[in-house]
Amino acid sequence: MRKRRYFALFAVSAALSLVAAACGEDEGGGETGATGGVETGTTGGAVDCTADPFGCVEIAAGDPIQLASLLAISGDVAFLGTDSNNGIILAIDNLDGSLDAVPGQLLGHDVTLQQEDDLCSAEGGSSGATALAANPDIVAVIGTSCSSAALGVADTILGDKGILLFSPSNTNPGLTSEEAHQDFYARTAHNDKIQGAIAAEFVYNELGITTAATINDESPYADGLATAFRDNFEALGGTITLVEQVNSADTDLGPVLTSIAEGEPGIVYGPNFPPVCGLTFLQGADILPEGTVHMGADGCLESSFIPQVGDAPGSYYASSPDVTVFQGGAYYSDTFIPAYEDQFGTEPTSVFHAHAFDAANVLFDAIEAVAVDDGSGNLTIARTALKDAVFATTGYEGMTGIITCTPLGDCATDVTIGIFEYPNWPVEGGTKPTDAIYVDTKTLADVL
Amino acid sequence: MIGGVARRSIVRGGLIGGVAAIYVALVGLYTKFADLELVGEQVTLGRVLIVAPALVAAYAVTRPRIVAGERRPVAFGPGVAAGAQTGAVTGAAFAAAVWFAYWFGIDRIREIFVSVTEPLIEFLTFGQGVPAGLPLLVGASVVGGAVGGFARTAPARVRDPVSIGVVAVLLLGLLQRIVPIVFVELGFEARWLYRSGSGLTLLGAALIFVVAAGASVAWDRGGERARDRVRKTVETAPAARLGLLVGILATLFVLPLLFGSVISEVLSQVMVYVLLGIGLNIVVGYAGLLDLGYVAFFAFGAYSTAVLTGAFLNTTTGAAEPALSADLNFYVAVWLVALLAAGVGLLIGAPVLRLRGDYLAIVTLGLGEIVSVITASRWAQPLIGGPQGMRGVTKAQIGGFNPQDHPQQFYYLALAFVLLALFVSWRLASSRIGRAWNAMREDEQVADAMGISIIKFKLLAFAMGGAIGSLGGALFAVNLGSLTPASFEILVSITALAVVILGGLGSLPGVVVGALVLIGLPGLLREFEEYRLLIYGGALVAIMVLRPQGLIPNVRRSRELEQEEVTQDAWAKEVTGEAEAIAAVVPGGTLGVEPEDLE
Amino acid sequence: MGTVTEEQVRGAQLGRLERLPWRRVILIVLSVLIVSIVTIGAYKTLTLPADARYSAAAWRDFIVLGLAQGSIYALIALGYTLVYGILRMINFAHGEVFMFGAFAAFFFSDAFEASGFLDSNSVSSMAILLVVAMLTSMGVAVLLERIAYRPLRNAPRLVPLITAIGASLFLQNTARGFFGAQSKGFGVPTALEGTWTIFGLTLERTQVVVFVTVIIAVAGLSLFIARTTTGKSMRAVAADSEIASLMGIHVDRVIVTTFAIGGLLAGVAAVLFSITFQSVNFSMGFRPGIAAFTAAVLGGIGSISGAALGGITIGLMQSLGPALILTGYNVPSPFQLKDAFTFLVLVLVLIFRPGGLLGSGEAEKV
Repeated sequence: MRKRRYFALFAVSAALSLVAAACGEDEGGGETGATGGVETGTTGGAVDCTADPFGCVEIAAGDPIQLASLLAISGDVAFLGTDSNNGIILAIDNLDGSLDAVPGQLLGHDVTLQQEDDLCSAEGGSSGATALAANPDIVAVIGTSCSSAALGVADTILGDKGILLFSPSNTNPGLTSEEAHQDFYARTAHNDKIQGAIAAEFVYNELGITTAATINDESPYADGLATAFRDNFEALGGTITLVEQVNSADTDLGPVLTSIAEGEPGIVYGPNFPPVCGLTFLQGADILPEGTVHMGADGCLESSFIPQVGDAPGSYYASSPDVTVFQGGAYYSDTFIPAYEDQFGTEPTSVFHAHAFDAANVLFDAIEAVAVDDGSGNLTIARTALKDAVFATTGYEGMTGIITCTPLGDCATDVTIGIFEYPNWPVEGGTKPTDAIYVDTKTLADVL
Repeated sequence: MIGGVARRSIVRGGLIGGVAAIYVALVGLYTKFADLELVGEQVTLGRVLIVAPALVAAYAVTRPRIVAGERRPVAFGPGVAAGAQTGAVTGAAFAAAVWFAYWFGIDRIREIFVSVTEPLIEFLTFGQGVPAGLPLLVGASVVGGAVGGFARTAPARVRDPVSIGVVAVLLLGLLQRIVPIVFVELGFEARWLYRSGSGLTLLGAALIFVVAAGASVAWDRGGERARDRVRKTVETAPAARLGLLVGILATLFVLPLLFGSVISEVLSQVMVYVLLGIGLNIVVGYAGLLDLGYVAFFAFGAYSTAVLTGAFLNTTTGAAEPALSADLNFYVAVWLVALLAAGVGLLIGAPVLRLRGDYLAIVTLGLGEIVSVITASRWAQPLIGGPQGMRGVTKAQIGGFNPQDHPQQFYYLALAFVLLALFVSWRLASSRIGRAWNAMREDEQVADAMGISIIKFKLLAFAMGGAIGSLGGALFAVNLGSLTPASFEILVSITALAVVILGGLGSLPGVVVGALVLIGLPGLLREFEEYRLLIYGGALVAIMVLRPQGLIPNVRRSRELEQEEVTQDAWAKEVTGEAEAIAAVVPGGTLGVEPEDLE
Repeated sequence: MGTVTEEQVRGAQLGRLERLPWRRVILIVLSVLIVSIVTIGAYKTLTLPADARYSAAAWRDFIVLGLAQGSIYALIALGYTLVYGILRMINFAHGEVFMFGAFAAFFFSDAFEASGFLDSNSVSSMAILLVVAMLTSMGVAVLLERIAYRPLRNAPRLVPLITAIGASLFLQNTARGFFGAQSKGFGVPTALEGTWTIFGLTLERTQVVVFVTVIIAVAGLSLFIARTTTGKSMRAVAADSEIASLMGIHVDRVIVTTFAIGGLLAGVAAVLFSITFQSVNFSMGFRPGIAAFTAAVLGGIGSISGAALGGITIGLMQSLGPALILTGYNVPSPFQLKDAFTFLVLVLVLIFRPGGLLGSGEAEKV
């Protein structure tokens, strides 16, 4: 009796995976379902689960809708993942229309969040995604924090099971490129090509600096951003004096900075993580020519930078998605942030809680659109239909901007990046007022 | 004296327990695990950790003493009492620290020790606040101490089942993320055993306790004679041995079907480190060459597999072709990789032929670091992708067998490689080459005088070790499909060495056990990820102090380790000219110490 | 008939090829290769077109920075070399001894900065920081010896090595749990900001402090080892601990003293490191630790002057290596490869002189 059960299970999963493999490889970009807006939920009908190559999720009446998150919640980048988790929790809270620390319900079901750790690495992404993929009750996954956990790893593992992976903070351009994109992957975080381009324009046009040097550490994030910056800066007419790389564990940046100083760049662009960005700033003060400006990106726009740098002299700018700029602006500062502080006891430790909030809400809307209630509270959600509904999102007004998903998974099409000047940073410990000194919105088509 | 335990011992043990408890608080374990429910809603890991220091202290304090040549265990009743007393001391010390923190100002202490927060104090005082909750804390420690005393001094037939039962419950409580998924994958309901998304149910815990304790009782009672008989049969009858081997192999094959994809994934990661361990075991265990840079072979295996199977470089615009690329099938490429890795082994072995001991360790560490740095460099980026890495390691499919998409199937692939490596390693050990390594390891000069070419056998060790290590890298690449430099740091070398040492140097079963403990356990218990390295470090120190020959020692190797030091010391003195060096610091001085100087 | 030498006998039996002294040939070829690569690289760097060339000021900076970093490595390396001389073990956890000293100094420095004491009484505050760091590092080192190494005094060498690695991991992560994963900024007193001009050379003030302190420390240590009773006891135990104990030397106490002195030096290095690089975090001891014991081995482990020389060499290699040699070959981002370069230098040195730079240089006679 038991053996038959094993065999049956094995045969079914083998068959499914064969079908998945056959189907998964050939599709080009994701399918675009109905255009414009989001449909209201359907009730009383039947969903053809056998037609959907990835089957359906069945949620009995009284059971919760199970979401999961695969974020960096431990280690040195824990501030990033925890912050995104908080954004999702607030979105669940907001289901009842208000941020009152009482979770709301979706279609009459509670929503639970299983939090997994992506370890900010490929191994973590692999094991976390495998654990989630093994659970047939997970409707969708919001993650990952680090691009290295997603690229070729989590996006493939989850995509092979038809589980949507919706990232609030992956910014690596490769994830949504023609060659690498997986069908069940989308993100509300910006594509770093946009951030690099806006940073380059700020430096060249606003600051009027025409020579730059870049330093990146060994993370894919920093390397991708530095490359995007360089490409756009040179296209504007600027000159890159030197491209250098350091190790994130380095403390002695003297020789590198000496080498950079030789080229006399007007700005040193270092889109790294603490402590390297702080060290570049502090040690560069003595080595680089007077008046050399420094710039980092959202990796540095983080609370530990502030005590490290203190009130050291010099100009330091950092680029980051700017969430205060939207029609959601007043809502963000008057309602969302106080609720965040209230429920979690601190100010946000990064900016991506907003993207997580938006991702969760887009997901909720998609679930509402495709879930079929059989009349007695049992929901059936077809996986491909859910994915299509998310990818069909157009003109959604989120906290981070207008969300329209492209077939390659970039949902943040109009990305607004703000440039902040130290110490007026919008994180814990920053000096108010923390408004951006420069803001620009671009789409992927505008950049290289 | 309290029933054979000196008061001084109680106080000392108790204070050490108190320090341990304070350490646990400061390092953040309470804060992190206060809410991790193990059984029902009340038994959380944090609460277990509150009683743990007292328990361990009491267990140590009530150990049997050797008095006048006689081993005198502590009696049961007095043992529990002594344990309780120890717990009281621990609790008092801990409570005093908590009170002090409160009085001094939590916020001020938090400026230094970030884990000391209001919620922590709340937790430690069981929600009652500082003066009121402290007696509860002391009480909990007393209970913990009593349990510790019980665990040490209770009669074996009571102690064993209870301990095993409790440990089983705790373990299954910790595995609350894995076991339900396994049940679900097998088609069973798990809700009677585990609360949804949380720990064990009371019913489940009780059941586990009864089953485990019962098994222990059954084992003890009926076991003795049966165990002896089994052991004798296995050791004498070759047919039985073959049967045992077949049985083990069969179990290994069936494992993934039983355990589902999550555990298969963890087991696959274990297999990669088993391969690394087997390779390193050849270099360190058989040939006696201390290699701290094993990550070099791992990285080489991974990246060359990627390049040879047509993987792409990640770029901001999508993908790029590596400077060198081939589109081979994985099963063809992997042999080429092993061959090339053997060559790399020769390259690494050549410069270190004349070095011994610590010098060899440092140099191999350096060589490993060189490879590590190169994987992330822009210099090598056109070939292996630099910081962005590579992806698209594929071509491991044969018909329906697609190990890259199915953790269970990958496990079989890994198992095949591991069995091959085990076989090769085992045959090597008992071959002429193995005997040459033994001779070389025991006394290099004598071996050379006997006509054993030291150069050849050292190089051979590096080559074989490198080839097997590169297989580990190749599997890793196929498993993840995506490579970034962050996976190839010095920690890999250290972990591989720890696996080999923990298991027992020169012992193949030891490598497997070492990998299961060091990689398998953290893989299953991911809540502890933040503290994984802390536990690794502590475990390494503990094992080395308590049981340095490893879990499954290789007897011959353990005996030899002593001799090796003598020869290396002699070599070191000769080569480094230490005498001259020290004398050089003291102009005109000698090493001789005059008796007058000692006044 | 005269006596037949062994070589002649062997020579008669072997073919012409086998008679070549292979080892010497390889060494010669290797040295020629290295010399040519280095010279060509240096030449190409120095003859780059004028706008791509490093200025004289840059070279001066490279050298000074390398020396400053190297001096700090030398101080840490002294701790390694002392312990190795006595116990024949490499104390992998010495980097963490250094790290805890830096944290202790940081907490005081932070408080001083907040109250303004740091700037108003620079000398006294620096003195206090040094004392605090030295005491903390010393404490950690002694504790380490007592808990992790003393039980293993007679164990095979591999065992304390693994224990040291385990202790290193444990201490690093303990610091992480205690103090958090984020880096802290270390404030520099205003008196030490800026430069001093000495003999026409403009140096950062912190660099001058580093140089002066290291010279004093090395000289002081050498004198201590040579002249004081404890120093002589240390030398005796290093030479032969059994005989030393027979002579009435309390070996355990000497060992503890050695660890304590190593800890003291590490504490000094911690403060110097912190004011130079202005950053403190839980993993700050790991890489400098590896660099320092590489330095100790490079110079000839067990030798104080070797440690000092090795430290300076490593420091210089890390800045001049990429600057002088790799730049010439148009290696992109050469400074990222500085660690690789340093270890390559180590490997090459040990090929030619297996005992280190100040070792005897002779391979064992086979």
